[in-house]
Amino acid sequence: MAEWKPGLPKPLSEIQGYLLAVFSVAVALGLALLVERLHFSGVQVPLFLFAVAITSWYASSGAAALALVLSCLSFDYFFVEPIHSLTMTRSDLPYFIAFASFSLLVSWFASVRRRVELELLQSRDELRNEVVERTQQASLLNLTHDTIFVRDMSDVITYWNRGAQEMYGWTAEEAIGKQAHELLHAIFPVPMDDIRAELLRSGRWDGEVEKTRADGTRVVVASRWSLRRDEHDRPAAILETNNDVTERKRREEEIRTLNEELGKRTTELEAINKELEAFAYSISHDLRAPLRHMVGFTELLQKSAASILNEKSQRYVGIILESAKKMGNLIDDLLAFSRIGRAETHKKLVSLDEIVQEALSEVRHETEGRDVVWKVAALPAWFGDGSMLRLALVNLMSNAAKFTRTRPKAEIEIGCMDQKPDQIVIFIRDNGVGFNMKYANKLFGVFQRLHPLESFEGTGIGLATVQRIVHRHGGRVWAEGLVDQGATFYFSLSKSKGA
Amino acid sequence: MSTLGRILMVEDDPRDVELTLTALEEYNLANEVVVTRDGEEALDYLHQRGNFEARSNGNPAVLLLDLKLPKVDGLEVLKQIKSDDKLKLIPVVVLTSSHEERDMVASYKLGVNAYVVKPVDFHEFVNAIKELGVFWAVINEAPPGSVRKK
Repeated sequence: MAEWKPGLPKPLSEIQGYLLAVFSVAVALGLALLVERLHFSGVQVPLFLFAVAITSWYASSGAAALALVLSCLSFDYFFVEPIHSLTMTRSDLPYFIAFASFSLLVSWFASVRRRVELELLQSRDELRNEVVERTQQASLLNLTHDTIFVRDMSDVITYWNRGAQEMYGWTAEEAIGKQAHELLHAIFPVPMDDIRAELLRSGRWDGEVEKTRADGTRVVVASRWSLRRDEHDRPAAILETNNDVTERKRREEEIRTLNEELGKRTTELEAINKELEAFAYSISHDLRAPLRHMVGFTELLQKSAASILNEKSQRYVGIILESAKKMGNLIDDLLAFSRIGRAETHKKLVSLDEIVQEALSEVRHETEGRDVVWKVAALPAWFGDGSMLRLALVNLMSNAAKFTRTRPKAEIEIGCMDQKPDQIVIFIRDNGVGFNMKYANKLFGVFQRLHPLESFEGTGIGLATVQRIVHRHGGRVWAEGLVDQGATFYFSLSKSKGA
Repeated sequence: MSTLGRILMVEDDPRDVELTLTALEEYNLANEVVVTRDGEEALDYLHQRGNFEARSNGNPAVLLLDLKLPKVDGLEVLKQIKSDDKLKLIPVVVLTSSHEERDMVASYKLGVNAYVVKPVDFHEFVNAIKELGVFWAVINEAPPGSVRKK
């Protein structure tokens, strides 16, 4: 602990102390002999006393004792009758005792002084160290951007860090000594009495507090208080840390507004969806009924007027019937298409192998009597809506079957590629009539057809349905083909539930 | 054909009525068909009230019910029949234009005995009606209290 600063006398070592004793007594003796030669008397004793005092002051008590003994011996030898002898008369004894006592007193004073001085120095060093330590801690608190300040129990600010200055715009000089509530105009979420009660009970409190900055703007802070007690366990000070949550509050408010809007939009969308549903429902009923009547009564007409209708008229009746049936198919396909858009997807882990087999059994009857080779590779289990995926595959496989009809031997291959943990690509390849890539973008539109109806029947909704199903599975669908050299349809499926 | 049960048909569209009756006529099933034009009338008939207060007693052997009806719709008629102790035994066949799954599910939940979508194709339509008529009015043993013609 002892730390001697330059400018202060260094304590003498033990040997130096004894040397000082010898030296100072020798000097005193020399001076005493000198003054005796000059016929001054009565000065010798103070000179020796002075030597003892000097030694006591600067050296240890051992050295002081040596100085005392040497002084007594020198005085006795040189100045007490008989001179040049260490013997002394009885009458001189009190003289020596007084000298020794006085010397001891001086020594004692010196040692007390030295002890006090040492203690003072020690406490000074301790204080200095503590000051250094505290200054370091305080500057650490200043490093943080968190707002930290301390108030005493009468709300007077006693500490104010840099973060506090940054947040509130008051410097430490301006803030310290002020009443916190006068400076910051805090608005608390609960009554002050409750806060105080909580603070005294648990030693802490936290909550959101609105305060005012130096420039008058308001700020909402998350405020945490800790109570410091003194050595007698009395509340002494409150350490408060603040974090600006204005931005967070603003975002929360923003999110709340957005959610509200989203809720409104959802309600609107739900209403629109309901309308669409009602529309589709109405189409499903009201559009099919007249169609049924057209077909029914035309059939009845055909029957009742068979004898008077010539061949041409019979053909006209046939066309009416055919067109009505076609319209029936269109309505059914459109309704199925719109249903896919409206229906909820029920996604779970499904076996694509099984789905392909189910689709194949649906499609196979379309190819009866034809030479069709189906090559189906093993497919993994995947996350999706089984019945929707089956419908997509039926459409694609039925297409492949349809557009290979002109081939003596049709080859249709189904497989998967690019399998990744979260995505898979399924393809259906055929050796059919293909298509011109120039029109690839038209393939998936509703009512889009690339072939004349006479060659290949169809409503032009199948691939649009496939696309809708794939989109609802977070994937995309595309095709490659060359005229007369077959076509390949690809679709990807993502694994995320949200898609 | 030993007996022919009475068929109650609930259908608002006169053309559908005509086509259905024509189909039934082809198989001599039409003379025991009662046609009501909306749900309210059908319920009046079943409860022998209003215009049907004076009708002969007995429940129909089968009820051919369209879903989209004026005033009281088909599902409501079905619900009332199936929750009425005097009527709940009457076999009800929903005969509708719609493929809507929710209608089908709702009908079965209410206890419908059959659900038939009217085919657009006339031959299929005639076949469907004929088979329905033959099955429900002739083959099926109607519950006690049904009107049957010897």
